[in-house]
Amino acid sequence: MRSTRSISDRRLLALVVAVAVLLFPVPSHAYAGPGAGFAVLSSFWTLFVAFLYSMYALLTWPLRYLWRVIRGRNAYGKARFKRAVILGFDGMDPELADRFIGEGLLPNLAKLKSTGTFRKLRTTYPPISPVAWSTFMTGVNPGKHNIYDFLARDTSNYLPFLSSAEIKGPKRELKIGKYVIPLGKAQIKGMRKGTPFWHWLGEAGIFCSVIRVPVTFPPEKFSGVLLSGMCVPDLKGSQGTFCFCTTRASNDKFREGGVRVPIERNGKGYHSYVPGPDDPVAAGKEMRIDFAIHPDLVQKTAKIEVEDESFTLKVGDYSDWIPVKFKSSMGLSARGICRFYLKELEPELGVYVTPVNIDPGYPDLPISHPVTYSIYLSKLFGPYATLGLAEDTWALNEEVLDDNAFLAQAYGNHEDREKMLFDALEKTPKGLCACVFDTTDRVQHMFWRYLDDDHPAARNVPRDKRPQVIQELYKRVDALIGKVMRQIDDDTLLLIVSDHGFKSFQRCVNLNGWLYNNGYIALKEGVSESRDWFEDVDWSRTRAYTMGLNGLYLNIKGRERYGIVDEKDADALKEELKAKLDGLKDPASGSVGITGVFACDAVYAGPYIDNAPDLLVGYGDGFRASWDSVTGRVTSTIFEDNIKAWSGDHCIDPRLVPGVLFSNQKIADEKTAIVDVAPTILKLFGLRLPSHFDGKAWTLANASATAQATTSVAT
Amino acid sequence: MTQTFQTLPHTLATGLMFLNSPLALVIILSVIIGLLMVILFYYTSDQDAIAVAKDQLKAQLLAVRLFQDQLAVVVRAYGRIILGTGRYIKLAFKPLLIIIIPMTFMLVQLDWYLGYAPILQDQPFLVKVKTATSETVNDVSLQLPPELTISAPAVHVPSDNEVVWRVVANKQGAFDVNVATAGQTFAKKVVVSPEMNRISLSRMRAPYWERLFSSSEPALPDNSPIKAIDVNYPERSYQFAWMEWNWIVLFFVLSLVAGFIFKSVLGIEI
Repeated sequence: MRSTRSISDRRLLALVVAVAVLLFPVPSHAYAGPGAGFAVLSSFWTLFVAFLYSMYALLTWPLRYLWRVIRGRNAYGKARFKRAVILGFDGMDPELADRFIGEGLLPNLAKLKSTGTFRKLRTTYPPISPVAWSTFMTGVNPGKHNIYDFLARDTSNYLPFLSSAEIKGPKRELKIGKYVIPLGKAQIKGMRKGTPFWHWLGEAGIFCSVIRVPVTFPPEKFSGVLLSGMCVPDLKGSQGTFCFCTTRASNDKFREGGVRVPIERNGKGYHSYVPGPDDPVAAGKEMRIDFAIHPDLVQKTAKIEVEDESFTLKVGDYSDWIPVKFKSSMGLSARGICRFYLKELEPELGVYVTPVNIDPGYPDLPISHPVTYSIYLSKLFGPYATLGLAEDTWALNEEVLDDNAFLAQAYGNHEDREKMLFDALEKTPKGLCACVFDTTDRVQHMFWRYLDDDHPAARNVPRDKRPQVIQELYKRVDALIGKVMRQIDDDTLLLIVSDHGFKSFQRCVNLNGWLYNNGYIALKEGVSESRDWFEDVDWSRTRAYTMGLNGLYLNIKGRERYGIVDEKDADALKEELKAKLDGLKDPASGSVGITGVFACDAVYAGPYIDNAPDLLVGYGDGFRASWDSVTGRVTSTIFEDNIKAWSGDHCIDPRLVPGVLFSNQKIADEKTAIVDVAPTILKLFGLRLPSHFDGKAWTLANASATAQATTSVAT
Repeated sequence: MTQTFQTLPHTLATGLMFLNSPLALVIILSVIIGLLMVILFYYTSDQDAIAVAKDQLKAQLLAVRLFQDQLAVVVRAYGRIILGTGRYIKLAFKPLLIIIIPMTFMLVQLDWYLGYAPILQDQPFLVKVKTATSETVNDVSLQLPPELTISAPAVHVPSDNEVVWRVVANKQGAFDVNVATAGQTFAKKVVVSPEMNRISLSRMRAPYWERLFSSSEPALPDNSPIKAIDVNYPERSYQFAWMEWNWIVLFFVLSLVAGFIFKSVLGIEI
């Protein structure tokens, strides 16, 4: 009792003293220590810097405005709208959208269809995202922007390289024994040619916010802000390498996109590691981040400790984005972020780790313009996925993730993107706001199997048990569009576009197998099938080959290292292949597996046409290049079932997979193409169109539809 | 707790007395207390919320820079910076309230060592007695030990109820000066030394929280005719970085610097 009272007295005394200090300050005692000093100093500093920034912005604004007027840039003088909002939904399919509109699932798109515009949007040859989005932003065909696929081939060794960007080590290095010290930063070269239309807008003084449009890595300078999208690598420099840490003994390698790492027992707990990029100093040595796992079998949880972070996950839970710092042997480091997913706890322990993304708060490679834009978004919303292909389709394909885990990851990224979009809308009251969402593409790729009546990849799932993932996806997109429509006014042009549509991918076509069976590819003696990237191919007897999704190449003498086809015979060979492949039927069903073969010199025009494949193969509905053909493997079979989760696709005949165009404006043109978007935007902002554009600007039917479409939004 | 925060600086100061350099003591104490306060801040604050609040502030600062052509955006961002600063200060307030209590005790204790110097031998100093009533002023006498002598007649200020003596010490040491009135005697300690020492400026008849700032001696009785006995010890100043500093200002600067260094090393959000 006495003790309690004593404590209480002391508390009272302390309180009295504190109050006395505050009420009767003596000058020399007014200082309350570093804590107060920090708070006051930091707050004052923030306000001071903010004040300086704001004053600078406010005081120089009239000067900048005057400067623009003097230079003849009355930015919005001839603009039809003060703002254009372009929402890109990668892979949104017009037939599905129309079907769901008809079923009453998409009220906001239905409103746009009835009061504005709904069209099929002609895509590119081939209908692949990096190709189509490059055309979207540059207004030109691939012959002028140089992107024909995700991958291009090196004619000196028949190996692939990323078509959009080249990342090399620094120009200068210092070699000391076995160590190589980089003197400078990595060199990044964008391979996409042509000028995105927001550069023209920026030059005219029209501000642009561009978020995650594919093939914008490395980011180029212009007057606006841009966050790079598809083709941004992970910290390893790949397009996404996940890591599956497991106690299960297996020597199997994942076909693509992932590595298996053992979990080892360590006393009462376990430990494993996240593989990182190669050590820039010690050649061939991989940097790693160790982490510890402490399972709790009673609670069905595991505590994971990574560097300074510690968190507990239930089975089926993802962590937040965890910052990691890979340290090299000479003090250099690379910062990244990744998420951990507890896949299983017993009898075996399994932890999936996402590819290590470039940390947007501390980007080791530039992923935005200006560099501070990715930092700004990171400070505002917290860490977010920066990898180009952020939704880990490979992990679902390899059954490391299940459907729900994949969807949780994909929609997590989608929600982050939504926040960025609405911030960009707020920050761009005038000008261009363009944002591309990838979830539509990834979810359709992975869940089309549940939409088909009889997809080989879903035959083990009864029809009444199949989740309506794609319907939910379109509903979600529709809700987002409704939210955007509520935030825009009559003076805003809204365009909803996709780069291509979607079709089922039930059957694989081993085109290299067909070429082999028909004598165009020869293998080395004693071999009936090749390994990846044409190992075991006898180039001295090979006339044509395929790699990537749609391209078919002739082995031209003087161009390819071991070329044997004379330039003068190339056209005849192309005609021969076209004649044989066009209309190729699947013997199992009698369906046409290839509905068109196109000579690139007929569908492209421009200075980079020499980098294009010789032929483009357009697969039929339900077909696509096989997984083996894509990676340059020659097989003996030609057609086979696709039993992977990756069950929908668009890398087929471009005529079968147009994209969508919705708008709050009535567009008079009946035929619209993705190549028309850039000229249309420039025209609507009153700018002159560059003569090299291949697209044509659309004509608006009337302006009155705008108000109707934007003011009456379904919720 | 009060005892701890009174004892800790005393222990620190006496422990570091061997340095025989008040400046070195201020520097070392600044570093140690800077570290302690940062750690205390860590345990008493919502680190996650502070990190978020700071990130939000940084984001708005970047927004002003990134969207400087959009006047409305700049103005909105500035407004959010002001709101965000308020949020941040609110988050810092709780640890601040907690820190302010031990900090007050510690600074007061340290002030007795670092704020004032002891009297020097042969250096005149004043002993001031404040009486409870003006009638008592003429009835007060000062009784000194042999080492101290009065060097000038007492000055009586009845309007302020004060009597002041000028005194000189002819020897070093700690002595009691006794003030006698109405048959009672009240002692006050006087320290004569060239070295650093614990100084009590006054002996008072006052509540604890009032005595806390200037007296380390026991209170005078509540019914005492004497309200206070003061000794005017000289204030210390410190020569540092080509400037003359009050110790508390120097401590403020150095503990902040130390705190900023330690918070970075320890990864603490402030």
